[in-house]
Amino acid sequence: MTTPTTNLQDGPANPPPVIDQDSDDGPTRRSVLARLAALGVTTAGIGAGAVTLVNFREEAHAAAKPGSTTTPQPNKPVGSKEAEHAWCMVIDLRTCDGCKICTTSCQKRHGLREEQTWIKVYSMEDGKGGNFNMPRPCMMCEDAPCLKVCPVGSTLRTDEGLVLVDTDTCVGSRACMAACPYEARYFNWKDPLPAKRMPMPNTPQMPVAQKGTVGKCVLCADRLPQGELPACVEGCPMGVLYVGDLVTDVAVNGQGTTVVLSQFLRENDAIRFKEELGTNPRVWYIMGHGQSLEASQ
Amino acid sequence: MSAGSREASLRPFGKPSLAWWAVVATLAAVVAVGIYAWILQLREGMGVAGYNDHAFWAIYIADVVTFIGVSYGGAVVSAILRLTGATWRAPLTRLAEGTAVVTVLIGSSLIIPHIGRPERLWELVVHPNLTAPVFWDFVAVMTYTFASVVFFALPLIPDMAVLSGDEHATKLGRNRRTLYKFVSRGWVGAPQQRRVLAGALGLVSIMIIPLAVSVHSVLAWAFATTSRPWWHESIWAPQFVVAALYSGVALVILVVAGFRRGYHLEGFITERHFIRLGFIMATFGATYIYLTFADILPGAYVAENGVSAVFGELLVGRLAPYFWMFAIVGGILPLLLVALPWTRNIKGMVLAATLVVPMMWLKRMLMVIAPANYDVVTGAFGNYNFTWVAISVTLAAAAAIPLLLMLLFRVVPLLSIDEIEEIDEMEEIAAMEAAAAYARHQSTSAAPKDAADDAMPASVGAHAMTAAAPAPNGTAPAPTGTPPAPTGTAPAPTGTAPAPTGSHSPRVAGAAGVLLLVAILGMFGAGSAAPADAATAPAAPGTPTIKLVATESAGTVQLVATVKGPDGQPPAKADVKFFLSSTVFGPRDVPLASAPADPTGVARVILGVDPKLYRPTTAGLQEFTASFVPTPGADPVKFSTNVNVSVGRSAFHQAAKKPLSGLGSALPMVLFLIVGTVWTLLIIQLGRVIRVSRFAPKVTRNA
Repeated sequence: MTTPTTNLQDGPANPPPVIDQDSDDGPTRRSVLARLAALGVTTAGIGAGAVTLVNFREEAHAAAKPGSTTTPQPNKPVGSKEAEHAWCMVIDLRTCDGCKICTTSCQKRHGLREEQTWIKVYSMEDGKGGNFNMPRPCMMCEDAPCLKVCPVGSTLRTDEGLVLVDTDTCVGSRACMAACPYEARYFNWKDPLPAKRMPMPNTPQMPVAQKGTVGKCVLCADRLPQGELPACVEGCPMGVLYVGDLVTDVAVNGQGTTVVLSQFLRENDAIRFKEELGTNPRVWYIMGHGQSLEASQ
Repeated sequence: MSAGSREASLRPFGKPSLAWWAVVATLAAVVAVGIYAWILQLREGMGVAGYNDHAFWAIYIADVVTFIGVSYGGAVVSAILRLTGATWRAPLTRLAEGTAVVTVLIGSSLIIPHIGRPERLWELVVHPNLTAPVFWDFVAVMTYTFASVVFFALPLIPDMAVLSGDEHATKLGRNRRTLYKFVSRGWVGAPQQRRVLAGALGLVSIMIIPLAVSVHSVLAWAFATTSRPWWHESIWAPQFVVAALYSGVALVILVVAGFRRGYHLEGFITERHFIRLGFIMATFGATYIYLTFADILPGAYVAENGVSAVFGELLVGRLAPYFWMFAIVGGILPLLLVALPWTRNIKGMVLAATLVVPMMWLKRMLMVIAPANYDVVTGAFGNYNFTWVAISVTLAAAAAIPLLLMLLFRVVPLLSIDEIEEIDEMEEIAAMEAAAAYARHQSTSAAPKDAADDAMPASVGAHAMTAAAPAPNGTAPAPTGTPPAPTGTAPAPTGTAPAPTGSHSPRVAGAAGVLLLVAILGMFGAGSAAPADAATAPAAPGTPTIKLVATESAGTVQLVATVKGPDGQPPAKADVKFFLSSTVFGPRDVPLASAPADPTGVARVILGVDPKLYRPTTAGLQEFTASFVPTPGADPVKFSTNVNVSVGRSAFHQAAKKPLSGLGSALPMVLFLIVGTVWTLLIIQLGRVIRVSRFAPKVTRNA
């Protein structure tokens, strides 16, 4: 039987579970995600990869445009209610030591500049004058203020609740930066850093930085459908960051801990940042500042 | 005065003086530097203009607000004074309307350096998000620009008809004469023509006021519809409107003073014009000071963290010198210059206007930068550093106002000849009637010549056009998804990995690769899988065992585990742990609960009843595992089984809908209806005037 797996990034050892099954109704975002899953494996399985990549590129470009929607399935209404996943994050501040490996793992994966901290570790002060470290990814708000103010609809929200940016249509108005109550958006004020990895097609799920457009945490939307963890979650050596699915009620961290999400949130009195704004963020914090870290050692 | 206004209007058409060339060359050089700076910014990115993530909006948006704001001066001087029947406006209207057109064009062009990817502006037309204030900014600015152009163009027809006559041929030049003849073709000043033109102008003057109000309101709402401290204020829209009026009148004073001096219009534009404009400016200035106070007081008083931090920065912190400079130089000094009798003259008014225009830019800059600098997470302040690029672009925009006006009035008449003559006529008639009345009744004296002169614009009609209340789901892209069909093959207890089953032909090759890979890995994996099987295999005597039976009914799963110690008897104290196999984040065991085994070695857990426990979320075949540690320190013994869950209840609860969330879908349609009506009305007015001047019955020319 399976034991909690700690090493997930080596795809070939664990062929990805097929979460979505495509039907022949043209490229939808879901099928793109499934395609990404297929892509991840096929690039490892060398020979056939190139064909898929070429097909993928065209279809991803077609699907990435917010305007191009396909006919909805008759038996399944569009919207997050029926989606089979609702991605979220839990951040256990009790064990965060502020090492910022989450930030650097993210920057490495997405080719970001040093000041572009899609997940930023803030040093915060509590009421008693003590300090605690608080990583802040994109909150993936259910009522995302950034989504409403984008003049060209380049900010989009997937069925699984991920707020993503289509940088191929972004005009760089920065209205989203004004609207975000969590300062989670970063602009490409200069030319992006030279790419160090294999050139990939630019998709909302795995954006390629472009000068004059905005960027933000995507919760590694390209990895989640494959059952892989976001770069920050995977990188966190303290197991602070959990990625979860609100639908199947499961959350995992990079250190192999798996929990029942609802139970974990309830038992640890998890809270959300700036609840009063009504943005319904999908990131929960478990408060603390290292006390149980000391207790456990 | 009639003949004088014709002659004066022709003055800019003569051979330009050396001074004219010098001014134009200087201004053109400033504009050229700005364009070069903008090209550099395009190449290097917006970072060269001093922008950063803590100053994401800065100088350019302040420029946009300022330049579109000053264009309101034209609307007030021309439209409001026309509607209130203030006849003294006549020599100022053409200059004021020209300023409005020029500044609104410059202001809307400043959006181009403001945005990161100007080449994608087209997306605003093809992929608009109807819940976005910035989109409605675009719509409002376009509509207002069109209305300004119509308002400027309509009165040109009679003027050009007058000037295209033979007596002005030499002064006008051939090109201008051809243009004027084309524009005014058929205009003879027939009563019907005059009636239609007056009607059209009246309607456009009424429309342009709410349109200008809408532009400045929507500009304000681009800020106010965010949750940033000091931007998120209900007073911002009216404050922007008054700020626009204030700075707009000031700019009209400057433009009028410049052209009056340059083309010696002292005969038409006198001190009383400046003083009256100064009074209007002072009215708006006083209102603006009041609104600024009303804007800051409640936030500073309640002192919520964010708002008080921003106001602290503004009133006593880093930005305080600039704010108080605005308050004194841009607010109190101009008021004093108008109020004190010995400065209430042309020089005083021009000085006041010279102070107001740049100080109002400074105020907009403060309003943009203080909240943009504020980090809404840490409460710290970032910084915006002016660079030569940003300053050059801004100076270029400022220099473009006189430059474009000087060029514009090389083409169109400087004064509104028809209006001046018409008002002269009216005043003559009024004077004659008054004289007649005097003679008839032999009473006191003739009526004051310009009774209507002192009509002041009391208030500006509030406009019903509102921005779209942002709705969460208005145009949220809704990608369609294929149904969430669970994979046909549920994981079997033996641990066979589920293979992806692709159905698209392009992926056949990919799937073949996957299958090959799975097969190869399977060969290597077979050996390592064996020990795991051994744990659940029929136990040899002397090994601890665990058995799990799962039963399901209507979404409730009962897990019953039976444990036996190494001796074949139930162990004294055994804690049985139950797991669910999840594949969401790769194959994992999710710990569900633990239960002590009773004396018979049976431990049970019921899922789906206790709200504090995991409830089956997914319908279909689910794998559950039970495990226990037979002796402390030993490896756990496990047993897995599958059960078909008939009802899966998602653990996800959608947040409650907000009370007004439906508004966003209805409001854009209403707004589009209003905008469509405005454009239709404007086009109809243009069409009516053109038709009546082309096809009206020929009457004698009234020149």
